[in-house]
Amino acid sequence: MIAFGASIQGAEAYQRYAEPGVRLAAEPDSAVYAFASVEPLARTYNLILDAAAERDDLEALVLVHSHTEITDSAFCAKVRSALLDPDVAVVGCAGAMGVAGIAWWEGKVVAGQLEHAYEEFGGGSFPAYSWTSRERPPAEVEAVDGQLLVLSPWAVRNLRFDEALILNYGFEVDFCLQARAAGRRVVVADLRAVYHRSVELVGDLDVWIAAHIELAEKWGDALNGAVADEVGWKRRARRAEADREAQRAIAFSTSLKLDARVLELERDLDEKTSSLSWRLTEPLRALNRWRRER
Amino acid sequence: MIAFGSSVTEPGVYSRCAEVGIKRAAERDSEIRATPSIGSIFRSYNALLDAFSEREDLEALVLVHQDAEIVEPDFCAIVRRELADPKVGLVGCVGAIGVRSIAWWEASVTCASFINRYEEHGGGDLPSFSWAWNDAPAYARVGEVETLDGFVLVLSPWVVRNVRFDEGLGKFHGYDLDFCLQVRDAGRKVVTADFRAIHYRQLEMVPDPEDWIDAHVKLADKWDGRMGIGAGAGSWRQRALRAEASADAARLKDHMNELEMEARVRELHRALAETTDSISWRITAPFRRLRRQRPHAPAQVARRSALEPTQ
Repeated sequence: MIAFGASIQGAEAYQRYAEPGVRLAAEPDSAVYAFASVEPLARTYNLILDAAAERDDLEALVLVHSHTEITDSAFCAKVRSALLDPDVAVVGCAGAMGVAGIAWWEGKVVAGQLEHAYEEFGGGSFPAYSWTSRERPPAEVEAVDGQLLVLSPWAVRNLRFDEALILNYGFEVDFCLQARAAGRRVVVADLRAVYHRSVELVGDLDVWIAAHIELAEKWGDALNGAVADEVGWKRRARRAEADREAQRAIAFSTSLKLDARVLELERDLDEKTSSLSWRLTEPLRALNRWRRER
Repeated sequence: MIAFGSSVTEPGVYSRCAEVGIKRAAERDSEIRATPSIGSIFRSYNALLDAFSEREDLEALVLVHQDAEIVEPDFCAIVRRELADPKVGLVGCVGAIGVRSIAWWEASVTCASFINRYEEHGGGDLPSFSWAWNDAPAYARVGEVETLDGFVLVLSPWVVRNVRFDEGLGKFHGYDLDFCLQVRDAGRKVVTADFRAIHYRQLEMVPDPEDWIDAHVKLADKWDGRMGIGAGAGSWRQRALRAEASADAARLKDHMNELEMEARVRELHRALAETTDSISWRITAPFRRLRRQRPHAPAQVARRSALEPTQ
């Protein structure tokens, strides 16, 4: 039996996105553990794991974020195929190698047919992680995206999300690190889904930074290699501080380019809609609008 | 005599930007040297300093990036006024305090009297906060700073004769901060003054991140906490973890900017397409063609402009 679980913070989001996806993917005998969110997210997920662990017939537990919609009608077949190898503990729809922190997408990304649907600016969608190159699954990775997690029965019964990571970022990287530390594998399968989320991926970057440090403190050498002494830490700090300021300047440059590009198009649009011919034909457009609305 | 010097890698850029401003600012006896770059800006500028250091009549040496244009007609008067204080070693129009690295713009910027003029996306101007003093924020002021932006640097004769750019630091990045630090370390002042300039440059601030990072580390190692450079709170381990997290956060911010740009551009393209695909736009196309073909339209504008001064 393949079970599905969700931590529901916004009931509307679950109803709009996750629930239709679960309905599409689930089989007649699938159990659905839709639990009200308890902080931190790790706590709710552990409650779901506890419930699923009691099922002797469990083949997999799928943890779906409320804003994630599974769009793959062959989902369960793909999950079974990915879990044929008993060493596989975690399956995701996106992940990466070369993971050095909670920003797993800064590694070598593997992603299937994932869409990122947004509502701002008139709405639309991109391929998820469109800012980087993405290899096609299947592939073994170091960590997967927490938006959609498939756990093997072994993982459900033997691992737990770390409830000490209270900031709700990086819980999936931590879980994957635990699985790998126990000798199990983490893989990405070609699972289709849509992430319904804002183009602003993280609202509070200060909290995200604190979560990044939290995970680095926990895993230390396992994430970034060993540092022998104070001199080594000084080298690493110098390099990291330089990198931080370079990245800030690059991000600022991107925002300048954004403004310049938008300004160019706004000028173009303005030029067209302020032309005499456009203004003269406004009554015609108003009439058409009226006819359409009737 | 107030001299002007530039290190030139692209003569076309120099003649369009720096030369125009230097001609506007220079006096009749000003000596102007636009010399081809010799490897790095550190070395090229040192060659200019060597060339002028023997001049007994030197009042100041103005080092101008090839892509910078001084727009102040009474620039030389401003320079003389600032250098009347013998303690002043360097003068610029963009500066900051609380500087800890070559990313001086991350510090508390006190004066930024320049425009960044870009050519991408149809071109445009980005005026900085003290370009127009009547619109400037409360923290905008001229006076003593820790570092200057090197795109226009005014050097006192003492500095020309006693300080040199550190050629061991790289090719370009950080030359201005290190020079300001040396001047201040020697007991001289670094100040901003009320003159303005245009910087013609692309919107990408760090087109060569690896070189920039390298220069950042070298400068931090060189000063190692002195004058505040490379200083920071906490142990080295804490600083490393904090900086790594912040660097990833900045990358994430960059990704979000890219997504927002893509979404906004798509929205505007849709609006443009809705406009140009509409029946009213298509049926009025002959009028717009006719308007574009009218030969007298630009001439009217030109005639009116030409008449304006006599009206």
